[in-house]
Amino acid sequence: MNESQVSVPLQVRLRFGHAAVQRVAASAGIDLLHIKGAAVDPELRPEGYLGSDVDVLVRPDHVDAIDAALREQGWELYSTFQHGSPFGHAQTYLHPAWGYVDIHRRFPGIRLRPDQAFELLWSGRHAFDIAGVACQVPSRPAQAVILVLNAARSAKGARADVITVWERADPDRRAEIDGLVERLHAEVAFAAAAGGLDRFRTDREYRLWKVVSEGGSRSAEWWARIRSAPTTWAGVRIALRAPLVNVDHLAHRLGRKPTPFDIAVEFVRRPLVAVFEGIRSAWRRVGPRRVVR
Amino acid sequence: MGGYRPADATSVVEHEDVLYAATLPSGPILVLDGISGLIWEVACEDSDAPVVDRVAELTGADPGDIRSEVERFVGDLVDRGLLVPRAG
Repeated sequence: MNESQVSVPLQVRLRFGHAAVQRVAASAGIDLLHIKGAAVDPELRPEGYLGSDVDVLVRPDHVDAIDAALREQGWELYSTFQHGSPFGHAQTYLHPAWGYVDIHRRFPGIRLRPDQAFELLWSGRHAFDIAGVACQVPSRPAQAVILVLNAARSAKGARADVITVWERADPDRRAEIDGLVERLHAEVAFAAAAGGLDRFRTDREYRLWKVVSEGGSRSAEWWARIRSAPTTWAGVRIALRAPLVNVDHLAHRLGRKPTPFDIAVEFVRRPLVAVFEGIRSAWRRVGPRRVVR
Repeated sequence: MGGYRPADATSVVEHEDVLYAATLPSGPILVLDGISGLIWEVACEDSDAPVVDRVAELTGADPGDIRSEVERFVGDLVDRGLLVPRAG
């Protein structure tokens, strides 16, 4: 018997992580759904890939409660909603035994109001045993929708999920998935992964999902993000955020808390990178054509 | 020593023939490989026979030779809160 951290396989650590978060949620009366990774029904992911972290979708009203409960039980905040991802949808915590957990307050691609979307997914939930603990998971069609929406942000990385849960789905399952995508108002992001994104050329989110699903420079992604904002004021806020230094990421890159000088250097470096990306992109469009062999 | 069961807060995962046990939600994870996994399984069986005798029977060892080690090991699992004596 030993307590070696390095000798515990990631698959084991992740299962315990889901179970531990469920125990914390249950004892604090918090509603959350386990999504992706070890919480995916084997029917939807037969090869059993568990991912690299624990993901849960929390009832939006319970986000503050899960934050407090996790910290009380030994998790440390690793990155914030503000800086964790450009979508601002998840906050990451790290536990010495269980590793990373991503707390989602909403899921990118779902445009239904977060509280209504959670309620819709919650209403179809069922218990799924992970490490001997009954974890609450969305219905199988809802899990399929989440995997496809997740694939839309993976720039071809999660193509296998799209093939398994959508392209190979029988007509009844496809109809269930289609109905759910419509109720969640997730048509654009879903099409970015499943195909047919061009049907949404006039949608304000079209460019965002095109650049996210097909890849592109950071500046192209920020521009698409600004254009996809639902209101002018929301777009302005995104534009103002774009040049700000992501202090969480900088701290993890440096391996220490950034000093004011570090932040100042990064503040100057990022626009230079954006300018370089712009020149490179323009050169690709108008410069001499490379011969592809 | 008779039977034991995992405590209510104990979670167990089996992966590639190795048992992993942990107290949720705090941890840590204990790796129960080889003979330690066997002792865990035997200790959790619903049986009135002493754990030492059953481990000795399964391994072909003399109960007297393994008694102190097995009892120390099971006692450690109880102290850690991973196992509790079975009621009755």
